[in-house]
Amino acid sequence: MMRRALIVVLLIAVAAPLMLAMSQLPPHGSPETPPYTHVSPYYLEHGAEEGGAENIVTSVILNYRGFDTQHEVTVIFTAMAAVLAVLLLAGSEPTDAEDAPGESPVPVSVVVRFIVRVLAPFIALFSAYVVLNGHITPGGGFQGGTIAGALVIALSLVMSREEADALLPRKPEHLLQAAAPIAFFLTGVAGLALFGDYLFFPRDEAFRWAAVLMLTVIEVGIGVGGASVLVRIFRAMRAD
Amino acid sequence: MLQDLWHNLDYAASVVLFCIGLYTVITKSNLIKKFMGLNIMETSVFAFIVALGVVDGGDAPIMGAGAEAPFINPLPQALILTGIVVAVSTTALALSLIIRIWKQTGTIEADELRGME
Amino acid sequence: MITWPPLLALLIAVPMTSAVLTPAIARGSARRAFWWALAVMSVASIIAAMLIIRVSHEGPFSYVVGGWVAPYGIELRFDEFSAAIAIICLLGTLAIIFSKEYVTHAIAEPRIPYYYTLLLLNLMAMIGFTVTGDLFNLFVFMEILSLSGYALVAVSGERIAEMAAFKYLVMGAVSSLLVLFSIGLLYALTGSLNMADVAERLDGAAAAPLAVAFACITLGFMVKSAVFPLHVWLPDAHAIAPSPISAVLSGLVVKVGIIGMLRVYQIAYSSGAVDMTGLNTVLMWLGAISIVMGAFFAVFQDDIKLMLAYSTISNIGYIVMGLGLASTYGVIGASVHVFNHALIKATLFLGAGAIIHQTGKRTLSDLAGVGRAMPFTVAAISIGAISIVGIPPTAGFLCKWYIALGAMQAGRPFFAFALVFGALFIFIYYIRMVNAFYFQKPKDPSILEVHEAPATMLGPTLLLAALCLVMGVFGRLPLSFIEPAVNRLLAPLGGG
Repeated sequence: MMRRALIVVLLIAVAAPLMLAMSQLPPHGSPETPPYTHVSPYYLEHGAEEGGAENIVTSVILNYRGFDTQHEVTVIFTAMAAVLAVLLLAGSEPTDAEDAPGESPVPVSVVVRFIVRVLAPFIALFSAYVVLNGHITPGGGFQGGTIAGALVIALSLVMSREEADALLPRKPEHLLQAAAPIAFFLTGVAGLALFGDYLFFPRDEAFRWAAVLMLTVIEVGIGVGGASVLVRIFRAMRAD
Repeated sequence: MLQDLWHNLDYAASVVLFCIGLYTVITKSNLIKKFMGLNIMETSVFAFIVALGVVDGGDAPIMGAGAEAPFINPLPQALILTGIVVAVSTTALALSLIIRIWKQTGTIEADELRGME
Repeated sequence: MITWPPLLALLIAVPMTSAVLTPAIARGSARRAFWWALAVMSVASIIAAMLIIRVSHEGPFSYVVGGWVAPYGIELRFDEFSAAIAIICLLGTLAIIFSKEYVTHAIAEPRIPYYYTLLLLNLMAMIGFTVTGDLFNLFVFMEILSLSGYALVAVSGERIAEMAAFKYLVMGAVSSLLVLFSIGLLYALTGSLNMADVAERLDGAAAAPLAVAFACITLGFMVKSAVFPLHVWLPDAHAIAPSPISAVLSGLVVKVGIIGMLRVYQIAYSSGAVDMTGLNTVLMWLGAISIVMGAFFAVFQDDIKLMLAYSTISNIGYIVMGLGLASTYGVIGASVHVFNHALIKATLFLGAGAIIHQTGKRTLSDLAGVGRAMPFTVAAISIGAISIVGIPPTAGFLCKWYIALGAMQAGRPFFAFALVFGALFIFIYYIRMVNAFYFQKPKDPSILEVHEAPATMLGPTLLLAALCLVMGVFGRLPLSFIEPAVNRLLAPLGGG
């Protein structure tokens, strides 16, 4: 009882100053607030032509704040490396799992198996669509990559281990997992070599194709990298 | 003050969510539940920052045919995309640690673990 | 001197991408991973050296990535405080060399390539953190380095390691959240994420959100740097991690919180819109309490690494106190102690790691008399111990002296007293350690038969010990290097 009272007091002590702060913030939804009048008008005005993508969020992510996103994808990679550093065990690559290959250990209902297999090609198509249309519709590499990763995970649930492991090639595995940061780096260096600034996307109409190409390379890189990392994390946890 | 808070109800809601998360982190003994509480706290901060970008009557910031001002501020959305990725990464690592703790000790209750140390 | 602007972006991008490539290069081989990690660190060190030479000639400079203008793109800013990357590169390289033999016994083989990957990512994220001039970019780097830090604590797979890592993760995640929340508040008030721009636009912002923002961000960084009541995650995490990782965590990663605080102070002071006196008082007191409590706990530890971990809390106390004093001498002393403490603590942790690796024992009572079997390592540890107490010709002396001067300058002699009192405590427990190593009778005579650690472990330890001495003799060099930056920081306060 005492403990509960203490916690309530603590929560009120945390909430009160926060509520006070919130009440003094510029009014929500007003177009006069600093966030809406300072930096973002520039993005909204120029984002479409300078940023190379009609979806301004994509412009901001990949172009104006591309350096952030380069390290965001590094965060994903770090998560994978961290999971592997914690879960890998001595003497066994977990993809060659300790448990015997064959049917997945938990029996899967026929309905689930059938539906996953039927839907798989459509999900794959959808993920490719989301990756490639990130510049004009909501979506992009992260979202599409997640869909692709989820697809592989769903398939691994209904397939035997050998079949599931064959879904992703083993040889270039490490490169695929690092695809996103590498794509960013290569694009950045291309910008540096051709236009003199790291992660520079050409803004001239004449070079628009180059900007679009760079955006696409990054989106695909993020998609491939994100999906492979997700699948690798899943496999590490499964093998354990 | 209350009137101002009413205007900023979205922000106030994220404070409430934050406190719910904090309560879960403090009171739950199960490590997974503790971490879920942390995820709720993370979500509250994300909700707060995304709410900063809202403008009344605003449209999604996608230019092209038929797009009309006002648009919603794109920057907070871009930031929170990053924030979500970070949260997912932390969750993956936390779950792996919990898997290992469970394998080594057979429990994921914080009180029982404290007894073992 | 090279002034090519994009070099600043490459400082982060090249090593970071190379770090990501480590598993692909290593293909499971620990040796290849090691050499690759070493190569990456060398490249990073060379770029860092070029940038530091430039900053010492022409003062701070910046580069906006992608050819944008400052508040729209991400600005990287290199000032004298960023010269901390020198110590990151140095310690990182030595920790990697030390790891070569160490990890073969301490860590399961398939984990080793990921160990190097995470270590590199951790170091590079720290470099990014020191260099960036954008609040959100700061957060992203902080997350890379926190995530890799949590995993590196657990990488040894020992029984308590994962629990220590989980505790570290929960505290760390909450502190990251506080930082992100403050960034959101600052963005709400100013509409910008660029630090310099935020500072300019803070004038006239509402008082309560501003106060909450600065309080939360400082609190977040205080958790990261383990200031006294928020230190609970540190002892276990730093003691259980593999020794080279302990050196990096204790020497560098806790300092990230300090560098974060310095950035916050830069915003607060130059904007003039925030009254920091209240926060400064809190920092001073917490600093003083950390010094005493850290030292107090350390005295009762038998495990050498646990003792060193508590001593880190005590030393962070010095730094935080120096910052809180907000006087020129105090801040200079604090900034240089960031550098010196990293050197000293790395000497001690690597030395301790070498001893633990050779003997398999880690408590003072078991290790009595080891000085006769491992004279060089124990000599290095002794030099580290003398330095950390702050006895004159060593690295620890000048900065503590400066912080004490800073306390007098700020008109608060009590804190100078706390500092001296803390130093006495620290003296007691290091004397206890040196005494045990050299003069006590070995509990188990077999300890006399162990040998010195292999060269890859002994070399870095001795080099660091030598640097502790060198930095004692040339101690004025970093002090005068950092002075212009501190003067610029404190100028708005009216000369400090």
